[in-house]
Amino acid sequence: MATVKNWQLDRQMDYPYEEHRPKKQWAIVFDLNKCIGCQTCSLACKTTWTSGKGQEYMFWNNVETKPWGSYPLAWDVRVLEKLGYQHWDKNKPYSGKTVFEAADPAEKAVHFNPQDEDWMYPNRGEDDCTGNVSGGKYLTLPHDNWFFYLPRTCAHCTYPACLAACPRKAIYKREEDGIVLIDQSRCKGYQECVRACPYKKSMYNPYTRVSEKCVGCYPAVEEGKQPMCVQNCIGKIRIMGFINPPWNAREDNPVDYLVHKKELALPYYPQLGLEPNIYYVPPIHANREYLIQMFGPKVEEVIENYKKIKNDPITQGLLVLMGSTDNIIHRFKVSEGSAYAFDEKGDQIVRVPVTEPLFIRTPWDEKLGVIRNNTP
Amino acid sequence: MMKKIYALMVVSYLLWGQGLWAEGLIAKYVKEDLSKLNLEALFWKEVTPETIQLIAQPMVAPRPQKTLTEKLWVQVVHNGEWMAFRFKWKDKEKSEAGPLGKFSDAVAIQFPVKEKEVPPIFMGAKDSPVHILHWRAQYQKDKEKGFQTMKDIYPNMNMDMYPLEFANQYSHDEMLKKITEEQREVFVSGKSAGNPQSFQKIKGVDEMMAEGFGSSSVIENTRAEAQGIWQKKGKEGEWVVQISRPLALEGGSILKAGQKSFMAFAVWQGGEGEVGCRKSVTMTWVPLIIEDKK
Ligand code: SF4
Ligand code: SF4
Ligand code: SF4
Repeated sequence: MATVKNWQLDRQMDYPYEEHRPKKQWAIVFDLNKCIGCQTCSLACKTTWTSGKGQEYMFWNNVETKPWGSYPLAWDVRVLEKLGYQHWDKNKPYSGKTVFEAADPAEKAVHFNPQDEDWMYPNRGEDDCTGNVSGGKYLTLPHDNWFFYLPRTCAHCTYPACLAACPRKAIYKREEDGIVLIDQSRCKGYQECVRACPYKKSMYNPYTRVSEKCVGCYPAVEEGKQPMCVQNCIGKIRIMGFINPPWNAREDNPVDYLVHKKELALPYYPQLGLEPNIYYVPPIHANREYLIQMFGPKVEEVIENYKKIKNDPITQGLLVLMGSTDNIIHRFKVSEGSAYAFDEKGDQIVRVPVTEPLFIRTPWDEKLGVIRNNTP
Repeated sequence: MMKKIYALMVVSYLLWGQGLWAEGLIAKYVKEDLSKLNLEALFWKEVTPETIQLIAQPMVAPRPQKTLTEKLWVQVVHNGEWMAFRFKWKDKEKSEAGPLGKFSDAVAIQFPVKEKEVPPIFMGAKDSPVHILHWRAQYQKDKEKGFQTMKDIYPNMNMDMYPLEFANQYSHDEMLKKITEEQREVFVSGKSAGNPQSFQKIKGVDEMMAEGFGSSSVIENTRAEAQGIWQKKGKEGEWVVQISRPLALEGGSILKAGQKSFMAFAVWQGGEGEVGCRKSVTMTWVPLIIEDKK
């Protein structure tokens, strides 16, 4: 075991390999306040990558309704249960154990192996609320009864458990963008990665008899494009970019800005210790204890930061850039009511108004002398 | 922990020469056609099975928690050209893999490659290769019933359509109609990457070279043959498996009548989740004494 730095936990931790950060690190930020659970992302991924034999139940991208939904079945509850009590005081390093530290010496990580049936209900719990909003109840913030959608891809972790667990070293993390891939020519289908990935984002294909996972849409990323699940997001809740560790954070990098500078987005289940690289703007209406379990003790602060956006034109500008371009935004700026996005070379990709101009159509059309309606 | 195991390794290394297995396995010379597989051939009755003790693989994580297969019974014969092994071990259920999270029962045998050099027991080391024959119940099924399709693995499964196949048949778009099987397979990543796992195992056995844990790579066009049968024995059950190989497998291990070599063994109980490093193994090389032709 080597000792590595995990900034999400604010401490050193054990990992089977030395710390080695890639030149750039692929990352997605999701604004959970905006996800409508339409599953367009799941379909975008599926039609691009997993429409073949053996991939019938394979969702590299999935959207589950929290708290009842999960895919594979109860992955989160089962991993947390295996890990045991996870203690984390606010503004302190995480004092519990990670999946690597809590592992039996005979194993690389705390794990469980989902069975066939566990992969058969990708929509379990969809749209289920924690309880009924019955007569006399009114909405408070956070809500008494709540649910939210959690879209998930592979997190292309800085310390991937899938990679650590593969006895054939068939999983590798790319130097150029941090994308974690399973070598399809060397995998022998032992499914150790499926057991070890706590997020259950490595999946076995019974037809090819090897494991597969989200490829981060690397062919698109190599061309400077965002992944399919990001490009096609209906709610425009996602942005893919490259994240730096906090000590190298750049204020004009959209992902760094959201995660480090403004502290609006948090990694999910950071206590597992993988330094996952998908980040979430937490939903402000959901139960706080649940959110603390999922995003760590900073979540309340982050929600407060989110509420301040109404007075923050720069962040507003960045949020409207989400979903406004298919290209990867390396740098952004907001000035005079417009948000600008730039590519790696510094060329402008897109300019969008921070606030759309408002047009009011009166119900009565003076010129034609008719009532307007919205019937197409 | 690791230190202790290494110490154990060194000790066992010294023991080889000292004749821990002074006798070892004797490959009896028979005048039979051994390239044909026959688990019930009469000559097997004349060869006393040797008991090989196995323990849970102790070297690299993931390690199994306990030894599931403690004993492997082995018989060996040769006819100057071919060598045949007949194995028997207890396994209460037949596991042939297929669905997600299900693994296959298997047995593997390992031979040194370089003459007069015994590589590290655990799958060799860099520049000290080993040669492995690996039989799996899953491969056996391939051999008997053909490559397992999704319909074979999940008989009750229903799939509306696989878009590329659908396009092929029903599309009005001439370009889509022309998509060939080969083009479709680009999206079947295991196959398009040429992974031997993703193709039918016509012999029921894989032949591999390895230079250390996790480094095994499959040799194409193996000449080895294998056949296995699982039979119920009261509440228990057992596998009987035959693996036959030419004495000389070019590019692999070369065995010669009248000489001594070494072997190592591994067994997996797929039904208990054993796969890859989760296996029962021999901790030392077992001498293989190959009788001279008579
Ligand atoms: S999310 Fe899972 S599959 Fe993806 S890199 Fe992390 S450990 Fe590997
Ligand atoms: S990044 Fe690409 S491969 Fe990964 S989930 Fe999104 S669409 Fe699928
Ligand atoms: S496409 Fe976007 S809005 Fe729709 S479910 Fe996916 S992440 Fe949510």
